[in-house]
Amino acid sequence: MRKVALSGLLARKTRLALTALAVALGVTLISGTYIFTDTINRSFDRIFQVSLEKVDVVLTPDDDLGGEDRTTIPLDRALLRRVRAVPGVATAEGVINDPNGTVLGNDGKPVSKGPPTFIASLEGPAFRALEVVDGRLPRTDGEVILDKGTVDREGFALGREVAIQAAAPKTRLRLVGSTTIAGATSLGGATFAVMTLRDAQRLTGKVGRFDAIDVGAQEGADAGALVRRVKAIAGPGVVVRTGSQQAESQSADIRGGLSILSTALLAFAGISLFVGAFIIFNTFSITVAQRAREFALLRTLGATRRQVLRSVLGEGLTIGVLGSAAGLLLGVAVAKGLKALFSTLGVDLPSSGTVLLTRTVLVSMVVGVLVTLVSCLAPALRATRVPPVAALREGVAMPETRSSRLLTPLALVLTTLGVALLALGLFAGSGTNAALTLVGAGAALAFLGVALLSPRLVPPIAGAVGAPLERAFGLTGRLARENSVRQPGRTATTAAALMIGVALVCFASIFAAGAKQTIAKAVDSGLRGQLIVQNQSGFGAFTAAAGAAVRREPGVAIVSPVRGGQTRVTGVGGKSRLAGIDPASFQRVYHLRVRAGGERAVRDLQDGQVLVTQDFADEHGTRLGSRLRAATPRGRAVTWTVTGIIEDKAGLVGPLVVPNPTLRRAFGVTSDQLTLVAFRPGADPGALKARIDALLARDFPQAEALTAEQFKSAQRDQINQLLGLIYALLALSVIVSLFGIVNTLVLSITERTRELGMLRAIGTSRRQVKRMIRLEAVITALIGGILGLVLGVGLSVLVTRAIDDFNLAFPVPTLIAVLVASGVAGVLAAVLPARRAAGLDVLSALAHD
Amino acid sequence: MIVTATSVTRRYGTGEASVDALRGITVGFPAGQFTAIMGPSGSGKSTLMHILAGLDRPSAGSVVVDGTEIAGLDDGALTQLRRDKLGFIFQSFNLLPVLTAEENILLPLSIAGRDPDRAWIDQLIDTVGLRDRLRHRPAELSGGQQQRVAVARALAARPAVVFADEPTGNLDSTTSAEVLRLLRQAADEFGQTIVMVTHDPESAAVADRLIVLRDGLLAEDSAGTAVPATAPAPAGE
Repeated sequence: MRKVALSGLLARKTRLALTALAVALGVTLISGTYIFTDTINRSFDRIFQVSLEKVDVVLTPDDDLGGEDRTTIPLDRALLRRVRAVPGVATAEGVINDPNGTVLGNDGKPVSKGPPTFIASLEGPAFRALEVVDGRLPRTDGEVILDKGTVDREGFALGREVAIQAAAPKTRLRLVGSTTIAGATSLGGATFAVMTLRDAQRLTGKVGRFDAIDVGAQEGADAGALVRRVKAIAGPGVVVRTGSQQAESQSADIRGGLSILSTALLAFAGISLFVGAFIIFNTFSITVAQRAREFALLRTLGATRRQVLRSVLGEGLTIGVLGSAAGLLLGVAVAKGLKALFSTLGVDLPSSGTVLLTRTVLVSMVVGVLVTLVSCLAPALRATRVPPVAALREGVAMPETRSSRLLTPLALVLTTLGVALLALGLFAGSGTNAALTLVGAGAALAFLGVALLSPRLVPPIAGAVGAPLERAFGLTGRLARENSVRQPGRTATTAAALMIGVALVCFASIFAAGAKQTIAKAVDSGLRGQLIVQNQSGFGAFTAAAGAAVRREPGVAIVSPVRGGQTRVTGVGGKSRLAGIDPASFQRVYHLRVRAGGERAVRDLQDGQVLVTQDFADEHGTRLGSRLRAATPRGRAVTWTVTGIIEDKAGLVGPLVVPNPTLRRAFGVTSDQLTLVAFRPGADPGALKARIDALLARDFPQAEALTAEQFKSAQRDQINQLLGLIYALLALSVIVSLFGIVNTLVLSITERTRELGMLRAIGTSRRQVKRMIRLEAVITALIGGILGLVLGVGLSVLVTRAIDDFNLAFPVPTLIAVLVASGVAGVLAAVLPARRAAGLDVLSALAHD
Repeated sequence: MIVTATSVTRRYGTGEASVDALRGITVGFPAGQFTAIMGPSGSGKSTLMHILAGLDRPSAGSVVVDGTEIAGLDDGALTQLRRDKLGFIFQSFNLLPVLTAEENILLPLSIAGRDPDRAWIDQLIDTVGLRDRLRHRPAELSGGQQQRVAVARALAARPAVVFADEPTGNLDSTTSAEVLRLLRQAADEFGQTIVMVTHDPESAAVADRLIVLRDGLLAEDSAGTAVPATAPAPAGE
């Protein structure tokens, strides 16, 4: 008997741990995300504060509409002269700080593929915040000092030459030292190359111009008053701030960038908590059913319903608190893991000590405990409905409640409502936060609805999945299938938890496959040229000089640059992407389908005219002849007439297209986003590409020339990388659902102890018992996998319908792999329960109550 | 002898708290005999049956089942022994609720992966009178019918010996009589060796031979062939 009691206790301990883990993993991601971003934010705050410590007032170009490549319209020398004349200004100095540089490593390849490389001028001693770690500061032209992170990573030696490229062709500068700012050896993996102002201006193509003007106030001058006086002479398109305001603004930029990341991570935390809620609900439902006699006994002894409710909720509270606390602590480790993950991607984020804010603790605990309590509320209420007389009966069944009779209609209503919300979010709004919230809520409701519906789906699916297992494994397969449908609701909830993760994995893979195919098709059908020149990082701009050099290569017929900027169009929320093309040559290298305005609309595009995509036109009611008012970074607005509506499946140009000269004059954009190259007929494409590759490597290593095939594969790689990240984050919710399978199996085994004892007594071997449990887990997991697959396919069909010109593609091998993986996951989940079932002592199992 | 126990002792726990459930039992069960084991609670009758059936291990002594010494066998070998040579009938029927009556009867054969001898199974089904209940699940059968299924299950693999643990403990007198008649029939017509533990004298009266245990010792043996109980001096006193 003691042994039985002991194994019961052990079962409870495992259950407690597994249930708490179901909460803990979601909470872990919440606290990990907060700690991670808070830590980075604090480090950057410090870096910006220190670097602007000595600057009283700073002038910068308004970067609100800076190009996607962070380009801005530089300040000029005349402005510097005017600033120096402002009363109260002691010193003013123009500086260069351009994020579009590239430093080449010893292998001739750019040192960074992701984070930017800054080309900066060395400020005067009055403003300088650099700390020299090794060597010295540059004294003359031709010398450069690099951040210590880059020097160490690349193994650069002081005194040797380093190759740098920005707007000017590759230039060699002598490395004279390494530096840190505010003690940080690395700034998010960004590289800093600091040189004389003249070198910096020459390299960045900003001779006589500046990215910022630093101002030192006279002794006793009020910085606020000085800002007002400088503003008065600065004119539109220039932002004037105090040094600390500028530091705050830079911090806010970083925060803004990180908030996208943290919102995404928190969304995945939410998914995993949602899955955890299923597990908690299921575990409590099962244990409450198993303890029905105990509750009845308590009631006969005089316990009120309230007391029964309190005892179950108390258990939930304990699990919630334990799980959330564990999650909070695990979050510290996860934050470190996230940092490591990003540094393997080349983004070495700075961090100075772990930052654990009160907000992190509060949110983690409150969310974790609330999710647990809400999930165990229904089972707790059911426990209160056990009549006292049940204590005297054998084999108590839980009373059938009204809610379980209403389950199917409720499930249908929820599913319908979910799909409706989803559709509303997808087709009504677009990309706005409200629309995204609708989509998320709709998906969650649909998941919930299907989960509630699934008890009806379990027997047929189990039958289908179980039949081959029965054929393969005979009796054990038969029993596994029968056992999995014995309590369809229980199996359904367990499977539904896995279903969610599987559905999202399928959705992501289908969506990604569609995106890849859409791009590939667009390239295949649109590209008429032979090469696409792009920044080797895959995004960002590069100097137009590269295209010009390629143009000079014999055998090249056309070089057509595509540029990028941003604008705000009156009546359109947020910023819009703006593409610049060379109208004369564009259609000869890339075929853009024109839906309205005639094929000549592209070639005839002039200053004052704009082409819009069909998506943009549909969304904003734009027609041929409509006039769009667009804001420029110079603080003015220009009006464009719509002369064509185009189709852009590849997203090559984006919603708004203007001629390059417009983009240069009004937006200051002079660098290329893509350069499309067509060869002369008769030119040897292989040899010509080799010459262009060599040319780029020699003078413009920032850029690379890709054939259509290479371009498609580069795009695929980028999508795959993102997909990998999404898979990794979804794995968390899949793991949570596996805990659910373990939990359900362990509890079911406890319930069936005597049966297992009998089976063993009449000759079932341990191996057969193990196999039976394993197959039961596989069936449950496959039910989740199949439901998830169907749901994921349905979801992706629905979502992609909302996107114009999207080619829906089903990555069949991936989808099959997902199903197989679900089955394998079932086997893994069964390891512990199977061992426990096989290890039961036959005699005590037979005596089990 | 199909089953022989020699000087079997069984002690639970250690030191002061230890309990001697069996204090030296030597007994043999010849083929085809239907034996009833009786004794008050705590006499050791269930322990003896568990040890004879390889479900529990003796602290000392030897048990030979159909020529195999089982005292030293590992779990795999014991499982094989139960599969091939033993049948069980439990007080609480212990049928699998998810299987039909027929599937429950065939369960030992399915577990062993053996093809059923159809003629024998048909004979069994007719003997226990369940021909019209074969497709029913246990929940749809009465207690007596369930125990008849259990009897058929125990006999299905033609075991060397069937152990019945209080087979009528959960049944009323009418159905008890049916089940006992079945066991009697199995011994008489099929030559089945049966060892039944019971505390009900009426049940015991059906058996060929009655053994009574008291305080872990053999107190009576109606066969008169029992070795006189020679209890070793109780240890630890």
